[in-house]
Amino acid sequence: MSGAIKRTTGLTGLTVAKNPHQTLGTLYGKILRTLQKMPESAAYRKHTEAIIKERSDILKSTPSIEEAEKKINCGQIEEVIVQAENELSLARRMITWKPWEPLIKTAPPTQWNWPPAQQVPQR
Amino acid sequence: MASILRQITKTIRSPTVQNGVVSSVTRLQSTAADKVPPAETRPTVRKFDFIARSQLTDFGKYVADCLPKYIQRVQITAGDELELLIVPEGVVPVLQFLKDHHNSQFTNLTDIAGMDVPSRPYRFEVIYNILSVRFNSRIRVKTYTDELTPIDSCNEVHKAANWYEREIWDMYGVFFANHPDLRRILTDYGFEGHPFRKDFPLSGYVEVRYDDEKKRVVIEPLELAQEFRRFELSAPWEQFPKFRNAPPAIEEVKTGDKQ
Amino acid sequence: MAQVARDGLKQVRPILSLDRDEARKRVLNLYKAWYRQLPYIVRQYDIPKNVNDCRNKLREEFTKHKDIRDIRIIDMLVIKGQMELKETVNIWKQKGHIMSYFKETIEPKPTDFLSKFLTSKD
Repeated sequence: MSGAIKRTTGLTGLTVAKNPHQTLGTLYGKILRTLQKMPESAAYRKHTEAIIKERSDILKSTPSIEEAEKKINCGQIEEVIVQAENELSLARRMITWKPWEPLIKTAPPTQWNWPPAQQVPQR
Repeated sequence: MASILRQITKTIRSPTVQNGVVSSVTRLQSTAADKVPPAETRPTVRKFDFIARSQLTDFGKYVADCLPKYIQRVQITAGDELELLIVPEGVVPVLQFLKDHHNSQFTNLTDIAGMDVPSRPYRFEVIYNILSVRFNSRIRVKTYTDELTPIDSCNEVHKAANWYEREIWDMYGVFFANHPDLRRILTDYGFEGHPFRKDFPLSGYVEVRYDDEKKRVVIEPLELAQEFRRFELSAPWEQFPKFRNAPPAIEEVKTGDKQ
Repeated sequence: MAQVARDGLKQVRPILSLDRDEARKRVLNLYKAWYRQLPYIVRQYDIPKNVNDCRNKLREEFTKHKDIRDIRIIDMLVIKGQMELKETVNIWKQKGHIMSYFKETIEPKPTDFLSKFLTSKD
């Protein structure tokens, strides 16, 4: 079975990837380049870089797709590609949103109290 | 015993653990061991999953760390349910982050709920329930608004939001900016008011009947034979003495700079 | 002093319009749209009213809110008016919904003592 060509992912609308290592390599490169535009201290950049590094290291060290899938442990390789695409579009939008800035505004003091009758702020 | 084993293997298999949300399996187990859960013996009290709770707590810290601009507060309710309280401007970025980020993948918008608390400065709460199929996890994102402050529609993030937002617009009158098709969904054409607001009377304002003379349905102001009655529901005795020392329903998770 | 004034004001997010002129323009546009639609409404819904009655009613509905100054409330009313116009034009409404603007079957409430007594209320 392991030698057979994979015919389907079993997921609707998701076709078998032709050359997943190359696709993922370019996607991860793009994500890392996008992350470069964010400030060094941004937690989003740090965490995402760590994830991407980990995954690309796994891909580089394991040429077998099935083993790589097992090591990444996040579904089939096609799903991993979709996740990378999502992360790329997210990272691009993050640059305009700048979520690493300090909080825009705090809520009014009694806003999140529950039950609402209890007017003293908790703690 | 078998169930415990299964739980532990689940934690180890869970990709959240491997990907660095929680730095290592050992740390997770040590945090779980620190707070040894007192065995819940009361039959009527819901038992919650301590492992899921500590994972969600860590995930809440992780999100607050990534998006400090939008997250006001992270809290755990009912033992093991994570809630992110965000500023109204941050609905689209937060939901997009939770949907697309590798470590969250909350791709499914289960429901959007509204809540009206007239005593608050911003009376309405909008609650997004989202589900991550990948990590088998559900969390809640809450924000606030009032009658005249528009909230950004998250229709571009989750297509499911279309009808849910129409429902909230219809029931509470919260306006969603940039919604592609905002109109009534549950009430009758020509209906005035928003029925789920707390100041909307239970009986409504109008009644509808068929007029035989006019040969059509007519809408008239409501007339009740009985005067409106106010039911006094408070009692002089204590309602739930067993829950006098109950742990608080909401526990805030200390995040980032507050630590 | 300026500080005090600034503290008293609340920064709010606009719904549609940024200033009064823009809000006014939207209201006039909505009025014109309804006005142009009235002949078609009368014909399509087959209501026992002529176009002039409808025009008076339209004017009445708009002047009901003539004292509102808050731009955001004006915007909200305009949005609801637009939705209602859409419901009417697409014939999602029915005859009864259109006629409910005229409130023909509603009897005015008694005001003087004798008629209150005769209707045996209070």
